[in-house]
Formats: sequence, C-alpha cells, structure tokens
Amino acid sequence: MDDAAIYAKLTTIFQDTFDDDDLVPHGEMTASHVEEWDSLAQIRLVVAIEMEFDMKFAVTELGTLQTVGDMVALIRNQLP
Amino acid sequence: MTTPSAEINALEDLTEGRSLAFDFVVNAADMADFSRLSGDYNPLHTDAEFARGRGFSGPVVYGALLVANVSRLIGMHFPGQQALWSGLRMTFRDPLMVDEPARLEAVISHQSVATSSIKIKITIRAGDKLIASGSAESMVLTA
Repeated sequence: MDDAAIYAKLTTIFQDTFDDDDLVPHGEMTASHVEEWDSLAQIRLVVAIEMEFDMKFAVTELGTLQTVGDMVALIRNQLP
Repeated sequence: MTTPSAEINALEDLTEGRSLAFDFVVNAADMADFSRLSGDYNPLHTDAEFARGRGFSGPVVYGALLVANVSRLIGMHFPGQQALWSGLRMTFRDPLMVDEPARLEAVISHQSVATSSIKIKITIRAGDKLIASGSAESMVLTA
C-alpha cells in the first residue's frame, strides 16, 4: 500500500471521527489544525486507525508523533 | 437496598471477542422518571392514545433509556469501575415498547494498548426484533 492509499483511508477515518466531510488530512497537519481534535478524539482516531489497518501501536510509538505525516510513516512501517 | 458493585477489569482482562449480555425491561415508572428528568414529554412516549394513532401499540421507549443500558454496560462491566466513556454511535432501528423484554449484547471488538481503551459492538434486541445497534468506546483508567 502506498502513501496515497494510506491517506485515502485516513481521510475517511478523519471525516468520520470529526464528523466533517470536508476534512482532508495532510502531512503537516497537527491537532492544532482541527478544533475538535482533543485527547478523547485522539483516542477514537488511534482506535479507528488500528482497526482499519489491522495493526496495534505501542504507547512509545504514539508518543513520538507530531504530525499526520508521522502517523502515515508509522502505518507504512507496520504494514506487511 | 445495597448499591450494585461495578466490576474491576484491567485492560488486559478486556480481550477482543469477550462478550456479555443482560436483560432489561423499561416500565411505566422508568418512563415517567425520564420524562421528569429530561423534560421530554413528547406524547409519543407519554400518551398511549397518541402513540396508537401513529401506528404503535403503545408509548415508545425513549432512545435515551436504551443508551442508559449502554451506560450500565460501560460503568458496571466493560470496563466497569475503571471506565471513562469516550464515545458512542447508536442507530435506533425499531421501537421498543414499554414493558417489552429486551436484551443487550456486547462484544469487545478492539483492545488498544496504546490508548488504554476498548471498542465494543452493541446490539439491543426484543426477541428476534433488532431494536438498536452501534458501538461504544471507553478508556480503561489505571489507579
């Protein structure tokens, strides 16, 4: 799966999590770009990503993430 | 009357596929209590004649009282005492009638170690009739 395919899946997840059909995640996006992106939304987001990509993250991995691009890299590295 | 005790489940106890079910009935007193509590006196829920005039056999149970049983699931069982409820999606598919026996079924569909949380698939049925379905998410707090 290439990054474009990952972003396509993330777009659906972001729009669903934040109830915003116009939201399109991009590499430089951070929580500060989305008003509803608080700590509980972060949990819903991570759970949705884990389920969609059939993977599980470690606490330490999440702690290093700054941007959506970082999340995409983490997903890419865990894909088979 | 003693207060029921909530289960104490750590995240590692809440494994994917673990399930639970319980039965409940919403009676007229529950409906009256919720009308007063919420301020929702819509006659579909409070007036049998009005409800029958719209094709129902009697007053329709408030959807929020179905959600109240999801609260029971989260607060008492999955996760129980360690719960911090973080999300709910529920679709009401068929009305539940007052005094109609119902059953809530729950299956843990995802356990996330990274976020110390679980996702639960939920269905509520009255016999063979699907009343509501959806999912809930809860954090599992540590002391």
